[in-house]
Amino acid sequence: MSDMVTRTVRLTAPPDTVDTVHDLLDALWPSVPDVSARDRMSLDTAIIELAANVIQHANRGKPITATLTVIAFPDRIEATLSDSGEVGEVDIEGRSMPAADELAESGRGIALMKALVDTVEHRRVDGFNHWTLVREREQVRQPDAPPRHLPSVSISGIIDEMARQRALEEMGILDSPPEDRFDRVTRLAKQLFGVGGAKINLIDGDRQWSKSTAGYGDEVVPRDKAVCAVTIEDDRTFVVQDLLADPLLADRGVPGEVEFYAGHPLQAPGGERIGALCVYDGKPRQFSEREKEMLRDLADWVQQELTASHELSRAAEVQQGLLPQSLISMPDWDIAGMCLPARAVGGDFYDWYPVGEGAAITLADTMGKGIGSAIIAATVRAVLRSAARFGDVAGAVDLAAASLNADLDTTGLFVTLLHGRLDMDSGEFTYVDAGHGLTVVARRDGAIERLRSHTPPLGVDLETEWQSHSVILNPGDVLVTASDGLLDLYDGTLDALDKIGALALLASTSAEVTDAVRARARGVAPDDVTVVVVRRDG
Amino acid sequence: MDISVTTHSNGITELGVSGRLNMVTAARVRDAIQTAVDDNRGRVAVDLSGVVFLDSSGLGALIAGLKTAREAGGDVRLVRPTEQVELVLDLTNMGSVLKSFDSVESAYPHE
Repeated sequence: MSDMVTRTVRLTAPPDTVDTVHDLLDALWPSVPDVSARDRMSLDTAIIELAANVIQHANRGKPITATLTVIAFPDRIEATLSDSGEVGEVDIEGRSMPAADELAESGRGIALMKALVDTVEHRRVDGFNHWTLVREREQVRQPDAPPRHLPSVSISGIIDEMARQRALEEMGILDSPPEDRFDRVTRLAKQLFGVGGAKINLIDGDRQWSKSTAGYGDEVVPRDKAVCAVTIEDDRTFVVQDLLADPLLADRGVPGEVEFYAGHPLQAPGGERIGALCVYDGKPRQFSEREKEMLRDLADWVQQELTASHELSRAAEVQQGLLPQSLISMPDWDIAGMCLPARAVGGDFYDWYPVGEGAAITLADTMGKGIGSAIIAATVRAVLRSAARFGDVAGAVDLAAASLNADLDTTGLFVTLLHGRLDMDSGEFTYVDAGHGLTVVARRDGAIERLRSHTPPLGVDLETEWQSHSVILNPGDVLVTASDGLLDLYDGTLDALDKIGALALLASTSAEVTDAVRARARGVAPDDVTVVVVRRDG
Repeated sequence: MDISVTTHSNGITELGVSGRLNMVTAARVRDAIQTAVDDNRGRVAVDLSGVVFLDSSGLGALIAGLKTAREAGGDVRLVRPTEQVELVLDLTNMGSVLKSFDSVESAYPHE
């Protein structure tokens, strides 16, 4: 049986950082049981010397994250400093203590550290340095015995724990708001087993955080008081009929609240056990094999939801990556765009790229929301991009529509879009509006003109003849095009476009307009919101 | 970390250091000893009873001070080191050069 205490700290430049490590140690020791003053003093000194060297040599001026894990065994204490610094260059071999009469002012740190503990080990795993110090406890140490080789027994567990913690953080779920898809499972579990409470718990560093709770229980519990922290040590269902009667687990129970416990571990996509689905009750009870099976099924369900949200957030990153990142260089023109999906991913997109003496600009809205629409949106973008290389605007839309018709027909979706080309010298914007109709030109003098739609959306009528129209943007004019999600942010009518047009005339840059819309949409938009603003300076 | 400076009538400069004597504070201790050596004849007593932590950088500052003081014909002597400071002095074998005493008076008994 051992006790583990972990603290994480962000280290930047020496020397102030050393004080951070001091403070960390001061906060950590009270949680480690039965440490003698001498052992604490020795390990404090050795860890400070180690940290000072790690910071000086390993980070090359960049901030690094370091985690200190102290594990207390009955006969020894093992402290591991795990840091994200570049390849460890601290030479721990062959550093002997300078002779006293030489009065050297430096060069004693590593030798001092080695004299204070029995063993110093270094490993590099997955981009982390793990420096492990092992000190035999004073209680079992022979008085005045020299340091002896005592290989660490905890290091593999620490490396696993770091991988586990990283996997958990990558899922991006910690401290997120409650979600019905998880609350549904805990509610069901509570009812199904007829218990006082059910939770989805994630083990995060020193604490347990509940993503979902049905019934009673705190959202955050110290790790050493959480039964789920024991459950994640194994991949099987963990059942304790009477916590208070179990000497090893009694201090994790709560009389009258958590006396019975059953939990099944939850895994990250890489298999790391990041938490557990558990049920608990205020009095001891039995838990049958069949109930274990049901709990496991529910845990699988939670795990699928966890993995789905992880994959969805990856999909969202990819979709945002498809939006134009860089501004095209067009003197006297200022273009900005924003796309805020109502869910993780959406069916809207905007695009622009240089064509001839100007740019092609697209804003499209695929019917529907979510992943299905997002897949079609990405297809539309790709097809339009390649079609834009041939012929004029109408020809490009015609080519794109011909390629997309079969796909749109199969999926039953359609796409509204504005696709146009801007000639940067003349200011002429030649466009096809396919059932979109959400574009305005705000004139320098304050007049707002709506651009009409002349053709149906893509995917509606195979026989459509795509015709282009054009409008001249003079200095001081602004063109704004949006998806219908924008209307919902105002009164739901086309008047919203006039408001945005007026706003665009007042703004000094296009990005100011998109920022204003983004601020208005955040958290409240029921539909995908996309806006592109094109202004001609003057 | 705090440093107090007391100049005794017999010419001994007493530096009272408290807090952590580490990488962060080492330069200040070194400077304080240098000033004491410049102002007096370099006989310095460093009271370490308030030092909760000494590391190799802090030790380096004391050694640098010792060298400066010796060049001026003086010395740096330590007064009432705490257990942790003694541990560091002991393991680095510096206790024989940076000697420890119970009081400023016993550090410089014949002055």
